[in-house]
Amino acid sequence: MDKFTQLAADIGKLWSKYGVSYLNGIEATLILALVGTVIGCLIGFVCGVLNTIPCAKTDSPVKRFFLGFIRALVRIYVEVFRGTPMVLQAVFLYYGLPYFTSNAVKFESVWAAAILVVSINTGAYMAESVRGGIISIDPGQTEGAKAIGMTHVQTMLNVILPQALRNIMPQIGNNFIINVKDTSVMFIIGFPDFFAAHRAAVGASYLYFPSATVEMAGYLTMTLVASVLLRWAEKRLDGDSSYELVQTDPLVMTAGTYNHPDRGTPFDEHSREYRENLKQSMKNRNFRSRGER
Amino acid sequence: MGELILQVRHLSKAFGSNQVLRDIDFSVEKGDVISIIGASGSGKSTLLRCINLLETPTSGEIRYRGQNVMGRDVRPAEYRSHVGMVFQSFNLFNNMTVLENCVVGQVKVLRKSREEARTHAMKYLEKVGMAPYINAKPRQISGGQKQRVAIARAMAMDPEILLFDEPTSALDPEMVGEVLGVMKSLAEEEMTMLVVTHEMAFARDVSSRVVYMNQGVICEQGSPEALFGDPKRQETKDFLSRFRNT
Repeated sequence: MDKFTQLAADIGKLWSKYGVSYLNGIEATLILALVGTVIGCLIGFVCGVLNTIPCAKTDSPVKRFFLGFIRALVRIYVEVFRGTPMVLQAVFLYYGLPYFTSNAVKFESVWAAAILVVSINTGAYMAESVRGGIISIDPGQTEGAKAIGMTHVQTMLNVILPQALRNIMPQIGNNFIINVKDTSVMFIIGFPDFFAAHRAAVGASYLYFPSATVEMAGYLTMTLVASVLLRWAEKRLDGDSSYELVQTDPLVMTAGTYNHPDRGTPFDEHSREYRENLKQSMKNRNFRSRGER
Repeated sequence: MGELILQVRHLSKAFGSNQVLRDIDFSVEKGDVISIIGASGSGKSTLLRCINLLETPTSGEIRYRGQNVMGRDVRPAEYRSHVGMVFQSFNLFNNMTVLENCVVGQVKVLRKSREEARTHAMKYLEKVGMAPYINAKPRQISGGQKQRVAIARAMAMDPEILLFDEPTSALDPEMVGEVLGVMKSLAEEEMTMLVVTHEMAFARDVSSRVVYMNQGVICEQGSPEALFGDPKRQETKDFLSRFRNT
């Protein structure tokens, strides 16, 4: 029991001294994860769409070469960034660019480098998710759109991608939660995230375990809140399950009734009897109104 | 002779080594209601899909108002906006409400204003009796209702000709009537229609010409009275007798 009181006291000590730096770390982590996920999704969408442009054998050789070239590029991008650790990608880009350009090109801020790395990493994963999302949509949707004269781009933007987006929302959520945690590797290029706050705190205080407890609780809170928000967003995307009727539907009939059931009966508008009755009543009414005048 | 809208000449289509359509020749004039009947696998749907360029014909040509639509100077999307299509599986856009389904094409393809498109769409939605359901999503309405919306969506584009690919085959029997009723009223308003169907009563009573297809060729065509009353070819007789007996 006294171990727990000890822990509480240590955490209190840490918080009073480094509370601000922990909170700043949380802020930086969330911003980096959010921006990285959003840009990554955009990259993923572009790659996914490029990968699903239809290519018929009858198309011109130029178009086919161009499409093949783009697809090869996307493939290389996906394989390289999905197949290497993000820690190394960060080091590679952050130190690699100045190294090769003899310091002519370098990252002005560690933020730019971190966002770039997280984005292209997320993009590589999302490219495949988006491709999956697009091919999961019934081809009938594409045909329906084409049949009313939409071009490939219009079909994608108005019909396919909105539906694909809904289908890959769980994937986007996954990526966001992974990013919240995995941005912790950005300490390697000196990015001031939540984990970097831990390293700074323990470097001075040597309270490894209490600080790790703070970190665990912090990350878990962030990811739990994110999951709840994502579920809510998915529900919102599904829209209301009820709808408003404007009036009743007059056309629902039973099988084969394009011959109206009244046909041949005195109620049929087209029968002689009905017309005669109608004519008669019109005449009577006209007669009466004239008389009253 | 009416105004010639569509001419199909020597049209053939093969999927690999499977020759689905062979040397199809026929033409459609304004106001024609043509029913295409025939056994499953006889190439009816493929013919319709070729006309709308959803399938690329292997050879032959399709002339829309005299112009070959497979030529390099014709954009398929532009051509398709003049040729409406109603599918067996409805193919309504699942991410949009009934009204948006009928508006989106007018706005994006015909570049109409949203207001104008809405008024125009409402006209057709009222005609097919779906005006009460404009706020519903496709998953919330029945098959017959979906197909009526699909017809309204196609009509809202003001097409020159409307293609129906077995519009009632995916429907429960009690919903067939409401869709055929809408199609009949369109026929009465002299909409040009090309209908692939298994509804023999509709083909007989509503269409101005009936085309019987067998194994990828047009076996016999003529007025409904002639084709149903006095078929010339043995294949046609055999096919029709199967329907009479049931």
